[in-house]
Amino acid sequence: MLSLEWKDELTAILSEKQVQIEEHGSHPLGNSGHVTVYPQSEEEISNILRYANTHGKRVCIVGGGTKRGFGGQLECADILLSLANYSGIVEHAAADMTVTVKSGTVFQQLQDYLAEYRQKVALDPVWPQYATIGGVISANDSGPKRLGYGSARDSVIGLRIVYPDGTVIRSGGKVVKNVAGYDMNKLFIGAMGTLGVISEITLKLRPLPKYESLVLLSFPSGNLEEVRSFAVQFLDSMMEPVCFELLSPSLSERLIGQRAYTLAIGFEDVESAVHYQEEFVKRLQPPNTTIRILPQEEAKSFWQTFYTIGPNGAAPDPLGQEIEAAVKIGVVNLDVLHIVRESDLLQESCHVHIEAHGGLGHGLCQVYIKGESESVATAIERLRTAASGLGGYAVVKHLPFSLRKRIDVWGENPSYFFLLDGIKRKIDPNRILNNQRFIGGI
Amino acid sequence: MRKKGIQTNDPHIQALARIVGGEKSILYKKEDLIAYDCDGFTVHRHLPKAVVFPKNTEEVAAIVKYCHEHDLPFLARGAGTGLSGGAIPLNGEVIISLVRMKRLISVDLENRRAVVEPGFVNLKLTNSISDRGYYYAPDPSSQYCCTIGGNVAENAGGAHCLKYGVTTNHILGLEVVLPNGEIIEIGKNGIPDPPGYDLIGLLTGSEGTLGIVTKITVRILKNPEAKQTVLAYFDRVEDASQAVSDIISEGMVPAALEMMDQTAIEGVEAAAFPVGHPKDIEALLLIEVDGISAGISEQIEEILRICRNRNVREVKVAQTEEERARWWANRKTGFGAMGAISPDYLVQDGVIPRSKLPEVLKNIQQISKKYGLRIANIFHAGDGNLHPLVLFDASKPGETEKALAAGSECLQACAAVGGSITGEHGVGIEKKEEMRFIFSDEEIAAQIDIRDVFNPKNLLNAGKLFPTPGRCVEVKREKKQRQSL
Ligand SMILES: Cc1cc2nc3c(=O)[nH]c(=O)nc-3n(C[C@H](O)[C@H](O)[C@H](O)COP(=O)(O)OP(=O)(O)OC[C@H]3O[C@@H](n4cnc5c(N)ncnc54)[C@H](O)[C@@H]3O)c2cc1C
Ligand SMILES: Cc1cc2nc3c(=O)[nH]c(=O)nc-3n(C[C@H](O)[C@H](O)[C@H](O)COP(=O)(O)OP(=O)(O)OC[C@H]3O[C@@H](n4cnc5c(N)ncnc54)[C@H](O)[C@@H]3O)c2cc1C
Repeated sequence: MLSLEWKDELTAILSEKQVQIEEHGSHPLGNSGHVTVYPQSEEEISNILRYANTHGKRVCIVGGGTKRGFGGQLECADILLSLANYSGIVEHAAADMTVTVKSGTVFQQLQDYLAEYRQKVALDPVWPQYATIGGVISANDSGPKRLGYGSARDSVIGLRIVYPDGTVIRSGGKVVKNVAGYDMNKLFIGAMGTLGVISEITLKLRPLPKYESLVLLSFPSGNLEEVRSFAVQFLDSMMEPVCFELLSPSLSERLIGQRAYTLAIGFEDVESAVHYQEEFVKRLQPPNTTIRILPQEEAKSFWQTFYTIGPNGAAPDPLGQEIEAAVKIGVVNLDVLHIVRESDLLQESCHVHIEAHGGLGHGLCQVYIKGESESVATAIERLRTAASGLGGYAVVKHLPFSLRKRIDVWGENPSYFFLLDGIKRKIDPNRILNNQRFIGGI
Repeated sequence: MRKKGIQTNDPHIQALARIVGGEKSILYKKEDLIAYDCDGFTVHRHLPKAVVFPKNTEEVAAIVKYCHEHDLPFLARGAGTGLSGGAIPLNGEVIISLVRMKRLISVDLENRRAVVEPGFVNLKLTNSISDRGYYYAPDPSSQYCCTIGGNVAENAGGAHCLKYGVTTNHILGLEVVLPNGEIIEIGKNGIPDPPGYDLIGLLTGSEGTLGIVTKITVRILKNPEAKQTVLAYFDRVEDASQAVSDIISEGMVPAALEMMDQTAIEGVEAAAFPVGHPKDIEALLLIEVDGISAGISEQIEEILRICRNRNVREVKVAQTEEERARWWANRKTGFGAMGAISPDYLVQDGVIPRSKLPEVLKNIQQISKKYGLRIANIFHAGDGNLHPLVLFDASKPGETEKALAAGSECLQACAAVGGSITGEHGVGIEKKEEMRFIFSDEEIAAQIDIRDVFNPKNLLNAGKLFPTPGRCVEVKREKKQRQSL
């Protein structure tokens, strides 16, 4: 197993306290390592990777570890490279509305810093207090407000990436518009750390909204046709919601105490424009529905809770009593209705607890399942069947390691898989980085 | 009478003609090929071997497969409006023109998407859905004729991209013919985040070097409820640039924020769509705000206040749609308008952090003095995307070279403040060498590595995008990788 020599070699690169031998070397969610290293500079990251690459060591990258349960077929790599001590703001060009930040910076800390300038990164990932910006970008996380602000691919304008051979490669730049060469940023967003370690990230910023509110429109009849016809009518209007998210009855019950399909419609703009849009929803309100409007702080606190509804791979006891799974499903926008309903129905047929939500304006759903291992596995399969029946896909974002061996979390390989694999082989020919973490065993 | 049939013994031409169904879909005679020896970048010219006009994806795939098997270089061409030479057949390519693949395949308003063939003209999409209140956001000034396939290849931008993003932010799915003739579909049904690396993002802006796009699923948007347009005249260009900085750093996101300097104003006022701008101002700003009507007037007031703070001479809000349209026609035909005051002009396309505007505009003035060539500036100030237009006379010996050098120096000025050498027109042939202003050899090699995954024989649009001695860099990197094994 692990010889002391090994550690000596690493401490030649890093200081003693940056290297930690793991006694057990395993974690119920997998994706751990025999040695954890804590680099504090890009140069150290580069040295570690160069060491691993020449010595054939496998490296697993971890930011905040909230996604520890996301993908991965290796229970334990040789080196767990933690970015926990690689954080901070490199440059904030407030007047240019851009920021450059080290990848280990905790997402919420970045937002808090920017808030003093009335600016923000326009992303809304879950577990912002734990997730690092590097992890958010690598996992391509987005939340309901993607409808209004886009996703990581729309916010990231530049990266510094440490390649597996230790070379530092820059992609993009510091300007908000740029077509020089290939748009290499895109390769690393959502790559789950299989191509390189993202060292620095430059993001374009948005102003904090002057005013915000959240309209909650509940449909106690349970008739999704009513939801659909309201949605179609509303989305055909000129209103500009930042989110238009359907919550399953179970999720709605947990968040607002009302067990009914609920539309969460968010507005962020100058105050008069927000109120105007609230009024518009009221005018369109279908009979037999109830409406609640959460202004400002109430909306903010709703979202705070919302971002912690799913399982957190970084939580102290991530397994708890039951098995937890999180599934991301992509379908054509309005088909979200089918997925959220299917999730609701599966609760009874599979004897699991399911909370689901999805954006009717962008087509992405998140489904959280709790229950006994077999039941969870069945529910995942059924959801995947439903998604592919609608021409979509299902990716299991969180699952204990034991089940990940049975259920292919990424689903079928696309027909162009050889291109994905070709890219991996060019950049990481020795497959040292996050081996088997990604689609098709990449 | 004209003789029917293919009049050449070249077996390749005959084979290609068979694929596309005969002589009506192929050009191969010199007199016919001349029109295809360049695109919107006219400094370099080269004749293609042939131009073929496929009608569908299968024909494109068959042509590509044939070229691949016979080692014939080839490239795709849309409307040929590219400004960096991307569609120029440097190596005597077979040009695959996509202008006959110009159908609007489907529109799905409920799910806000449309599917088009690559030869479909940008503006036609908006025109096809505007009666129902929808539009396609990316609006390059060439939108009345450029193709959406060409837009994808160049990741085209436009005046309204400040708020709504460039082409890459609006592409949901692509069908692509790879350089070996294989057809792939990425982003099936236009569903976002397909598992795997983001190949849509990579292909968009790859300037036709990774594959030929044959079908595109785009996002469409609902028209904003209201818009208002402001025109502001400044005596001093510094004040205008400061006003731009103020608007951005105030946290406003106008739909568009455009600027023209004095030379540019002279041009547009002498051309087809004059507005009556005063000739003695140093700069004007064209600002558009859109969104929910209830919030618009507040933002307009703020913009007017900022302009006044920065010593604006005159500032006005468009009173009618007709007036607004006139201001925009004047702006959108700005490049061509330079023809009214100069025999030739070269468009550059640098990007800078917005706060550096005053500094860089000053440097451009100095470059203009140094070369003795006038430089007009018409540009997307809101996102720092400059378009210095170098005015010259190609008939004067040596002036073309001078213009190229001045253009390159403008890009250097942009790179020097942490900017980029191109914001929307692409690298093509024109800015190949300038890639070195912003990327190291290793970074360029990393990009070539990606090209090799898609285009290993480099028959598709070779000689573009990367600086010429790329070879030795490639070799260097290969050696390094072997060493690390
Ligand atoms: C169960 C679960 C469900 C979730 N569901 C949703 C959801 O429904 N919607 C949503 O918007 N968000 C979701 N998230 C969001 C997630 O919590 C965070 O937003 C973020 O993606 C993870 O950040 P992290 O720092 O914890 O990443 P980690 O878990 O540490 O890492 C994530 C991945 O990125 C790699 N990585 C991390 N840092 C780097 C780096 N610097 N360079 C290269 N690779 C790196 C890791 O190796 C790993 O593959 C979910 C998270 C969990 C745990
Ligand atoms: C007056 C004028 C104003 C302009 N204004 C703007 C502006 O505001 N913003 C802006 O971004 N650009 C602008 N341009 C540049 C140009 O119009 C854009 O780059 C446009 O996207 C090119 O489209 P096209 O159909 O003419 O492509 P072409 O010029 O035919 O081709 C451009 C490149 O794309 C490749 N290509 C074309 N079709 C395909 C395909 N289907 N698959 C793969 N590769 C393909 C070609 O090989 C070539 O490399 C302007 C040009 C002019 C002449």
